[in-house]
Amino acid sequence: MSSMKPKSLQDPSTVSSGELKTPCDAADMPASAAADTSAAPSHWRSLAELDNDPEFREFVAREFKTPLEEMPLSSKGRRRFMQLMGASFALAGCRWKEDKLLPFSERPEGFVPGEPVFYATAMDIAGVATGLWAKSFDGRPIKIEGNPNSASSLGATNTYHQGSILGLYDPDRSQQVVRRAGQRTPSSWADFDRAAGELIAQARAAGGRGVAVLSEASSSPTLASLRSRFLQAMPQATWVAYEPSHSASAEQGIELAFGQRLRAVLAPERADVLVSLDADLLCPSTDGGLAYSRAIASRRDPSGSMSRIYAVESSITEIGSMADHRVALRASQIAAVVAYLDAELSAQARPPAALGAAQPRPDAKFLEDAGVKKVLDVIVKDLLAHRGSSLITVGSRQPAEVHAVVHRLNTLLGNVGKTIRYVEEADRISGGAADLAALVAEIEAGRVETLLILGGNPVYNAPVDVPFAAALGKVKNSIRLGLYEDETSRLCTWHVPQAHYLEAWGDARAFDGTVLIAQPTIAPLHGGRSAIELIAGLLGLPRTSGQDLVRATHDASDDKVWRRAVHDGTLGSAALAVEPVLRPIASMTLTEAALGSADGIDKLELVLELDPAVHDGRFANNGWLQEMSHPLTKISWGNALMIAPITAERLGLRDGFLATLTLEGRSVELPVAFTPGQAPGTLTVNLGYGRKVAGRVGGLVDEDVEVVGTDTYALFTAKAGAIAVGATVTPLNRRPDVLANTQDLYAIDDIGARGRDERLPQLLRETTLSDYQAHPEVIKHKVHHPPRLNLWHDPVSYDGHKWGMAIDLNKCTGCNACVIACAAENNTPVVGKHEVARGREMNWLRVERYFKGDREQADARQMPVLCMQCENAPCEQVCPVGATLHSSEGLNDMVYNRCIGTRYCSNNCPYKVRRFNYRNYNLDVYGTTPYTGTDDPRAKLRSMAFNPDVTVRGRGVMEKCTFCVQRIQNVKIKAKNARRPVEDGEIKTACEQACPTGAYVFGDLNDKKSRVAKAHGEPRAYELLQELNNRTRVQYLARISNPHPELATEDGHSERH
Amino acid sequence: MKLFVFPRWANKTRLIAGAALGGAPIYLTAFVWYGFSPKTTDVGYQPKQPVPYSHELHVGELGIDCRYCHTTVDQAAFAAIPPTQTCMNCHTLVHPTSPKLLPVRESAATGQPVQWVKVHDLPDYAYFNHSAHVTRGVGCVSCHGRVDRMEVVYQQETLSMEWCLDCHRNPEPHLRPPSEVTNMNWTPPGDPIAYGAQLREQNNIHPPTDCSTCHR
Repeated sequence: MSSMKPKSLQDPSTVSSGELKTPCDAADMPASAAADTSAAPSHWRSLAELDNDPEFREFVAREFKTPLEEMPLSSKGRRRFMQLMGASFALAGCRWKEDKLLPFSERPEGFVPGEPVFYATAMDIAGVATGLWAKSFDGRPIKIEGNPNSASSLGATNTYHQGSILGLYDPDRSQQVVRRAGQRTPSSWADFDRAAGELIAQARAAGGRGVAVLSEASSSPTLASLRSRFLQAMPQATWVAYEPSHSASAEQGIELAFGQRLRAVLAPERADVLVSLDADLLCPSTDGGLAYSRAIASRRDPSGSMSRIYAVESSITEIGSMADHRVALRASQIAAVVAYLDAELSAQARPPAALGAAQPRPDAKFLEDAGVKKVLDVIVKDLLAHRGSSLITVGSRQPAEVHAVVHRLNTLLGNVGKTIRYVEEADRISGGAADLAALVAEIEAGRVETLLILGGNPVYNAPVDVPFAAALGKVKNSIRLGLYEDETSRLCTWHVPQAHYLEAWGDARAFDGTVLIAQPTIAPLHGGRSAIELIAGLLGLPRTSGQDLVRATHDASDDKVWRRAVHDGTLGSAALAVEPVLRPIASMTLTEAALGSADGIDKLELVLELDPAVHDGRFANNGWLQEMSHPLTKISWGNALMIAPITAERLGLRDGFLATLTLEGRSVELPVAFTPGQAPGTLTVNLGYGRKVAGRVGGLVDEDVEVVGTDTYALFTAKAGAIAVGATVTPLNRRPDVLANTQDLYAIDDIGARGRDERLPQLLRETTLSDYQAHPEVIKHKVHHPPRLNLWHDPVSYDGHKWGMAIDLNKCTGCNACVIACAAENNTPVVGKHEVARGREMNWLRVERYFKGDREQADARQMPVLCMQCENAPCEQVCPVGATLHSSEGLNDMVYNRCIGTRYCSNNCPYKVRRFNYRNYNLDVYGTTPYTGTDDPRAKLRSMAFNPDVTVRGRGVMEKCTFCVQRIQNVKIKAKNARRPVEDGEIKTACEQACPTGAYVFGDLNDKKSRVAKAHGEPRAYELLQELNNRTRVQYLARISNPHPELATEDGHSERH
Repeated sequence: MKLFVFPRWANKTRLIAGAALGGAPIYLTAFVWYGFSPKTTDVGYQPKQPVPYSHELHVGELGIDCRYCHTTVDQAAFAAIPPTQTCMNCHTLVHPTSPKLLPVRESAATGQPVQWVKVHDLPDYAYFNHSAHVTRGVGCVSCHGRVDRMEVVYQQETLSMEWCLDCHRNPEPHLRPPSEVTNMNWTPPGDPIAYGAQLREQNNIHPPTDCSTCHR
């Protein structure tokens, strides 16, 4: 104990207030208080009880509340005793460290300490903007939710948004202005303003000659307007944007198709047939991904009118997991697929001549595969049968011509104005490898003297054939505005800290053109400035505060309008649709790769794509995101080479071993991940890893912090683009040091593994729509077991609330947003690569990935697993100390302070959802413990992200999902205080709130009208491992697919009995 | 290896040694049970505060209601300590130059908080919500004692889990109409238990005893 000094403990007898009375004494109850004495009791324990005399009544009333002086075991007596024992000096001080209460000096109006407030804001990631709500607790944001009023999120979030809180409080963030002239010298904003001011003033005098700006992609109207002003003030200057994920194909495709600059906005909720060609509408880096997720999921309800989804792709994407039919083809073959679809559709639909000629039927090898051809023909048929209610989407990786043809297809199918609309494209800042290469050329020609880099990280993520890092060395004055002092900052002469999006005013434009307003929820922690503030300052504008700049951009001089916009997070409405006219599209020249066979290991196709966890590498220092496992490979803390098993075996590769991947003479080493469902002859690899200057989480070579994953930007070339053909892979006969695979770790023998796989159809139940409609009981009958009987009678009747949850497997895409949301809400510790490899990851919620089909042709299935809150919980029965008990509302309560760490509960849990703190993860990773607190500033900063409503656990304590009991309690208390019942949907668990598709439904089962009660009542609802009679409160809604009748196989039929 | 043999004089100490060995665990247990119990360590805790604020004066004599300062007690989990401006509401005019109020005036001038020491400090893993209790009719006095008679605030009750459960299992003796929550002198009309039962019925009071009520 830290405080052993004697306290100022006054002898209670000297307290001036006279006798210390107990509360009931205050009542000063008269001895003759009437009691119910109508009948003498038949059984009694004492004469006093029988006589019911006044003293007895007084005794009963006062119970144990007696005046202090009277009882020998009273506190005063005890302390006296301890003093007499001579121990009081030690024991009187035996109290934990004193807590201080620090109220405001001037409390803001309406501020309630301890009550969270939500503020609308927006986050722009590489030009993809989403409206969010930041939950602010005592003046600091601790959780991100979606803004339900914004079409860009509809209340949902993706992994990047959920993880951004940790990025705000990252102690590795840049905290000071730094000057690098030979060596690194800390500087100040004042010095920078002076120096940069001079540079810009000189440049302005020369019309801006020699000045260049390199920014990351941004949808911010304010930044776009500042760019115009910048270029107006300095006409000779250049402003270039670079984003590794940039693709001009979408824009160029529209230009080819319609001759104007437009943006396509989809309405998948109106699509009965959705064809996804190497596209992933649900992926977090898709603009509008969250809105599209909700829209597509809304059509996957078997009781409604269910859509049909076809996916043609090389790697299993989120929409591929949801699809009813999936064809695995190389990404380079999509062009031929599109040509084929055009040829067939035009032949059968006979569009008007004004739309131009169709693509000629390609002589593609994959058409020789009967299976593939059949699916494509069925797609054509289905599209024709659903004109005006179908949608074909194509991914940004595909070349512009392919996009153009797809626009033509949507037009001739009559989808325009129904499932797809075109809106005027606003001014957005974006650019790719070509733009960066142009800038490098300028630098090499000596025409750039001052380079201002806003965000991004071009030294790390530039294509390897665009020598940006070398060029940067040639620039005399390079100024970098960055969140971290990273790879790019180290080569710049000035580094200035950037304000996080939660610290600054800003705006953005959503996928449908709506303007989103971002307001700060905390003052810049490290004195950073946002990009708009920096540019405005350099331009010497009269008003440089973020708020003024944003307001001015939108002409929001009316206070009322402005306050409403800031409150809502949105300003104005979506962009209006235009009706473009389709132009004839020239025939595509299909490459050999496009026409080549569906299988060929001689020319492997390599696709480099953004990572679902760390994006392009910008989130590499985010522990939650690094610990998130990849939805397909289930590998965390690193990237892997995803390859089809058949191709891998032909190349002599071994699963989990390292291999060398070579493209155009450049090589990297990666662990191999056999990925069923991957198109043969294709490789998919994620970018964003292998950073050497990310921070103490993502890799910091200078301080011996292990680099996470492999830097695959070494293979990223401007020439090859997004789809590179001609990669080779050679096996290495060694394993990586640690491969943190979260799912496939557990060693089990063959028989066990086979048994487990035989059981999977019972765990992840699915059937087809026609089967389900004909025999709704088929889902429940997938498992036969004898009648379930309890060994003991049910002691609990759930009369009040009866919490339950339903998870719709039709809607889960495996995006893992729920996992990060849960980690953020419940203070889940990050354990690091080595602990994850030992199976000690701490995420309370995991998404299991299963494959269906055979080795050659597999589909993926995703299934979230969390604590089932069993009524007959096996864990409750074995806890020796009663640390896990059942609440009267059906929750399985976990009491951390009582747990002694026997781990018997986890042993007994059949779902393995309990997580044990094997180490003091908070101390090891964050440097802070719940017991003694810390003075370490890094730990203090990191601790600001903790949710104060949830205990921070120490070592030796078991934890698990609690159905966000803190949220349940808070809403219940509020409702009770207001004397009203809790409404359905008022309590949202963190996972439920984050899920973009609405797969989770939480609520009160006793409320017959609640969504969850209805879900549990559906015939396709089932419990996991129901034969164990755990009576889980979480039920799954089986996956119902909607295959085309011509393509339905025997798999679709149920087992008859 | 030579076998250890107790010296002969040790025979005389057998009785005492036996008593000590047998009695030591019992003594230690009692010591810890007694000495480390919240009744010893917490009740009567009366830390020194930066400002000698007297509840007896302000509440007892002057009659200021608890909620004038602890404003959020019926809305939120925390019954907030008042901001300095609440003090200055009166003290710009009342004793404006008193040396006892120097920290308050400094706080008002600089914007830095007055560093009060928390008296009723529950462990971090126990979550208590004031509004749930205050709006149902548990008086301030039930848990905090006669604050209006405290020159310096001290902890009256143990605030241990046992103590909380005693009320949760049997709330009748401690209930009062919600309007009387801050009334330090309130007494129930008639039999407290019967009256409490009546209030319980009226106000639909069902204090939960689930672990997750307080432990999250």
